[in-house]
Amino acid sequence: MSKRIVIVGGGVGGTMLANQLASKLYPEILRGEVSIALLSNSPDHYYKPAFMYVAFNQFFEEELKRPERSLLRPEISFYVEEVTRFDFPGQCLKTRSGKRYGYDFLVIATGCVPAPERIEGLKEAGDHFYQYQPARQLAERLNTIKKGRIFITVSFPQTPNVPHQCGIAPVETTLMLDDFLRRRGVRDQVEIVYTYPTTAQLLRNCLFLQRPTGDILPGIFEQKNIRFQRGFTLSRVDPERKIAYSEEGEEQPFDILMATPPIRAVDAVLESGASHAPNNEGWLPTHHETLQVYGLEHVYVIGDTVDLPVSKAGGACHNQAPVIANNIAAEIRLGAPHSVYDGRVQAVAQMGLNAGMPLWYDYAHDVLPTPPTKLGGLLRNGFNRGLYWAVARGML
Amino acid sequence: MTNLSEETLATSAAGLPVTPGLTALMAKIQPLIDGGRLDNIVDVLSLVSDMTDLLDAAMVEKLARLFENATAATWTVSNAVRLAKAEVAAAPEPPGAYALIKLLNDPDTRKGLAVVLKTLNVIGRQL
Repeated sequence: MSKRIVIVGGGVGGTMLANQLASKLYPEILRGEVSIALLSNSPDHYYKPAFMYVAFNQFFEEELKRPERSLLRPEISFYVEEVTRFDFPGQCLKTRSGKRYGYDFLVIATGCVPAPERIEGLKEAGDHFYQYQPARQLAERLNTIKKGRIFITVSFPQTPNVPHQCGIAPVETTLMLDDFLRRRGVRDQVEIVYTYPTTAQLLRNCLFLQRPTGDILPGIFEQKNIRFQRGFTLSRVDPERKIAYSEEGEEQPFDILMATPPIRAVDAVLESGASHAPNNEGWLPTHHETLQVYGLEHVYVIGDTVDLPVSKAGGACHNQAPVIANNIAAEIRLGAPHSVYDGRVQAVAQMGLNAGMPLWYDYAHDVLPTPPTKLGGLLRNGFNRGLYWAVARGML
Repeated sequence: MTNLSEETLATSAAGLPVTPGLTALMAKIQPLIDGGRLDNIVDVLSLVSDMTDLLDAAMVEKLARLFENATAATWTVSNAVRLAKAEVAAAPEPPGAYALIKLLNDPDTRKGLAVVLKTLNVIGRQL
């Protein structure tokens, strides 16, 4: 009987994995022994990192999306379906439309969602750049602010050693904000305050979740007259008075609160019962090498839904997808997975509106920061505008 | 064992301190100098530097779009040809005339055919 591989989620992880699986298992697909289906709740695929640029007027919505079908190889069946329930013992999924999809191998690639409502007052008074509409709202504010105080906060998940979405994003956007306000000619009248919580994965009282990068940040911030503060764990926000309160007992005023909000897995994953993560965050217990979900048969997870200490970003998916493709192929052909994920993540960090810093790290090595360059900035721009779509199609 | 302090203090003719890195680099470059080809390398570096100066965000955006258009078109066509070839090859015998007409009437075939005809139409429009 044909083996059914079902991938849930049409983000970059699910899309590139589906394409790589189609390539890897091509002989079996042609013989009718394997089928691949991808389910997504949207007919469109969004290049999520571009939302950060939307906040600084650098991207139109039309430029950051493509029809998902156009990114998938023809051997892959694509259904616009929102999965509402995972039935792991029954090896099937139920969708909002009432359909039922059986699977032999399942990959959960449903990502994560910002949850500002989990901090009192943050949804009402805070801004973020992790989705299109909030990024547009932030852009409106940044376009019009003439003087005042922009306060930057970062909220980590409460699950130990799990990072927030895209580790470097708060640093990137702080530096972009500085450049943006200088271009607008209002930087002298606007104070920028970058803060970081007391607990950042395994580090305490730092400015970044990895030591070598954290160590160089004070120099960069001082040069740009950006104020910075350690040990500010956002606990609640007073929307009326525009005050951010910290768990450490501080209160700080703001005109714009640019926050990296709490995040959680999607509803269907939260309700699946497969997660043991605290605070109902929903991260799936993931084997850090094979990327299988602990306690479940033939179920893998890619991207933001893992409970691993690596960045919740496309640069992680890019290295996880080949491992999962190999492991599913090995299960089908040899009976057991054999590829190992080493925790590698790579990216080109946007360090201000023009400069870029290529970086990589894995389970054993931290990022070794290098001076941001114009060429790095051009590389990032080229990736944003063109290379990304080749990556999603599984070409790079 | 070499005397490290003497080595550190030594300087090249150009006044540069002779570090292990410089020594290794010079050993690599020596054949280029001997062959009179180092000038070419310096010219190439200048050209790369000129290109970097000329590139700006708008030009990168245009080049990136060009890259996406080219790769997406090639990818789509090669995927289609690969799958079509495999499906035809897998059939026990070539399709008969009736099977071909039936294929022609398939909605996906009609869509694909429309794209081909429309492409010719658009090309004609620009002549």
